[in-house]
Amino acid sequence: MTSDPQQAATATVSTPSDREIRTERYFDAPRDLVFQAFTDPELTPEWWGPRGTTTVVDTMEVEPGGSWRFVITDEDGGENAFRGIYREVSPPERIVQTFEWEGMPGHVAVETITFEDLGDRTKITNVSLFHTSEERDGMLSSMESGMNETYARLDELLARLRSR
Amino acid sequence: MVQYSPVDRTFAALSDPTRRGILERLGRGNATISELAEPYGISLTGLKKHVRVLEDAELVATEKVGRTRMCRLGPRRLDEIEEWITMYRRMLDERLDRFGELLERRKGVPQ
Repeated sequence: MTSDPQQAATATVSTPSDREIRTERYFDAPRDLVFQAFTDPELTPEWWGPRGTTTVVDTMEVEPGGSWRFVITDEDGGENAFRGIYREVSPPERIVQTFEWEGMPGHVAVETITFEDLGDRTKITNVSLFHTSEERDGMLSSMESGMNETYARLDELLARLRSR
Repeated sequence: MVQYSPVDRTFAALSDPTRRGILERLGRGNATISELAEPYGISLTGLKKHVRVLEDAELVATEKVGRTRMCRLGPRRLDEIEEWITMYRRMLDERLDRFGELLERRKGVPQ
């Protein structure tokens, strides 16, 4: 398998607006495998937290409306818990989830994670948008029709997978 | 008409380096408009505009004292949002790198 190691090793981080952080990174593996590893609760502790920390997966229901909650312990034994809701799970191409730090409730990032199929390689783009919980709740209600459409598409997708 | 929420106003106010400098200065103690203008070499009118943006975002409060206007940090908890974003970026920075390392480790592992 050929790849550009320079490109593979570096995540590109940019800030398209004051409230948005965009991260892009290339992975040297096919998309199905990348998506599978990314959503595997058993593998999550191996990469999710910052280096030197230990991550314990408390909850990880990778499905629309499902919850996640991870607890991170740092070198000094300090514990921090993070949680969110999976708003959209469209294997193997897209996940939309919220992110909250329990130590400071009310501040929320909405993360849109896109998996782009490049054959032997995969590009992950993570766009994080900041909100307060009030804004998030308002947005959730306006997004409801969009979400239903997403659920319908997910149902269709799952039906196609089952009939294979 | 565009409605700005308090958080929008906060981020807009913080997007300018002069305004971030003003907040940093006021974090060390109250100051008058002319004291704030001094390090930037801008007019008092220009500086007042920046202070007004910060005031709208409740990051700065001002009070007329005699012939001068005294500025101090406002009621909005700037440090909280900054702390949150700093924490979040720290969390995000290494995540995908570590995920890449995991994929490398798992190469050849039967799926």
